[in-house]
Amino acid sequence: MLKSFIGTVGLMVVGAACAHAAEMHALVRDHKGKFVADAVVLAVAVDPRAALRARAPADAVDQVDKQFVPYVKPIFVGSTVRFPNSDNIRHQVYSFSPAKKFELPLYSGANAPPIVFDKPGVVVLGCNIHDWMIGYIYVSETPFFAKTGSLGTAVISDLPPGEYKVRIWHPSMDHAEESTSQQVTLTANAPANAEWQIGLKPNIRVPRVSGAASPAYP
Amino acid sequence: MRTRSRRTIGATLHNAKMRCPSLPTFCQANRASLTAFLILCAASHTARSDWTVATAAALSHDDNVGNARDHNDQVADSSASGTVSALQLIPFGEGYSLAAGGELSGQIYDHLTGLRNASIDGLLSLRKKWGLGAFAAWTRAGVSVGRSNYEDGYRDATIYRASLELGKRFDERWNLAVKYAFERRAATPGDYEIYGLSSDVFSQTGRSFTANAEYSLTERFSISLGSLLRHGDVVSTTRTAEYYIYANSKAAAPDPAFGPGAYAYRIDGTTYGARLGAEYSLTAHSLIGCGFQRLETHAHGGNNYTDSVPQLTWNYRF
Repeated sequence: MLKSFIGTVGLMVVGAACAHAAEMHALVRDHKGKFVADAVVLAVAVDPRAALRARAPADAVDQVDKQFVPYVKPIFVGSTVRFPNSDNIRHQVYSFSPAKKFELPLYSGANAPPIVFDKPGVVVLGCNIHDWMIGYIYVSETPFFAKTGSLGTAVISDLPPGEYKVRIWHPSMDHAEESTSQQVTLTANAPANAEWQIGLKPNIRVPRVSGAASPAYP
Repeated sequence: MRTRSRRTIGATLHNAKMRCPSLPTFCQANRASLTAFLILCAASHTARSDWTVATAAALSHDDNVGNARDHNDQVADSSASGTVSALQLIPFGEGYSLAAGGELSGQIYDHLTGLRNASIDGLLSLRKKWGLGAFAAWTRAGVSVGRSNYEDGYRDATIYRASLELGKRFDERWNLAVKYAFERRAATPGDYEIYGLSSDVFSQTGRSFTANAEYSLTERFSISLGSLLRHGDVVSTTRTAEYYIYANSKAAAPDPAFGPGAYAYRIDGTTYGARLGAEYSLTAHSLIGCGFQRLETHAHGGNNYTDSVPQLTWNYRF
């Protein structure tokens, strides 16, 4: 009887919360109008109390076919990230980024210790064995974020209604993310839409296959 | 009477215009090696280790295949070549890694069928990366032993190579590497002699220094520039018996691959080379490219010659 009562009250609370949650739809294109994938969309509440109850969940960045998967991983500051290795070989993951410097010595499988990302910013990942491997962890100061897919769209759900400053970041963006900031008002009645058109630098990376110069791998 | 019995050799970039035999000939001579290589390749799919399997193909045109000085002796021909390699990478930590594996290659000529060849090589290298990250400098010491068999078997040789490399990627665009290499090619001399000269023409020794730079212009398009300095034995094939080449040769022998009346001479020479290339990445695993290589050799006795080699290439790394 008591359990049933608690359950009913719980459902009412959750239902009420959902009923009052807002949603934001984002669309990111480049200057040619092409959809931009892997852009991180962030919504920072003007009222800081909106994010008080946010928790930093555990997350993971995998290594598959000598690539980081996903290429871009947004997380909330304070999150713990594991780096499982799905390849049948060993990797040596590292970062020199000011937001988080670390090195995982050669390992295979899922035995590497998790890393806590306790400072907002961009963390560039690399593998010291396979130089072409590169990945990004965006450590967000806000718990409200999403990443665009191949159609350039992202949805941030379950936002407390209110005023937000929204901005985006992308590994190849040719200008500061602050310059993308917009102010939006989110209500529970209808989702808000935000669009960006950004300039992208050429994404020149260490090649996996090298030509004439002596290959760096193996 | 053989006045010189030294066996020497090497292949130079231009002398190393690989020349080997048809597949049946190759298989007979290298059956055991071929079996070992196939086992190596098969293991790449089963072993829980870091294997790199790569293939490459090239179309080339050489305006002076025989390295002849005089225009009348120069023979131009086109060739197609292919390579399959499998290397196992064994990282040790502290920046050290060992690479071991093998390579199969072959080349066919359009007209000079006697130069068709197939080769098998075993490779071993130790690499040290001086720091963490993609932009750390690295050095690599490597050795290899290979066997090349030619359609015209008198060119068959066992090839030993040792090299020391130094490289550094300065950023995502710039990649530089230099390499010093020693090469010895041991062939079997014929049973004849020409006026007291050894017939051991295709045994050669050479030392080379190469420098290569790559620059990425865009996400997919890159250019490369390479240079070569080599000193050692070179083989020049002519139809005209001139004193200048005979008097300065260490060895001489008929070279029927270039037709009746052609003789190959082994001479000391220094080769200067440059190569300009452009590559386009089709996917993350493959690239196509084109290049132009120019070689200029100054050999003893004024037997100087040049080679120009335009090339189309394709590389795929699994």
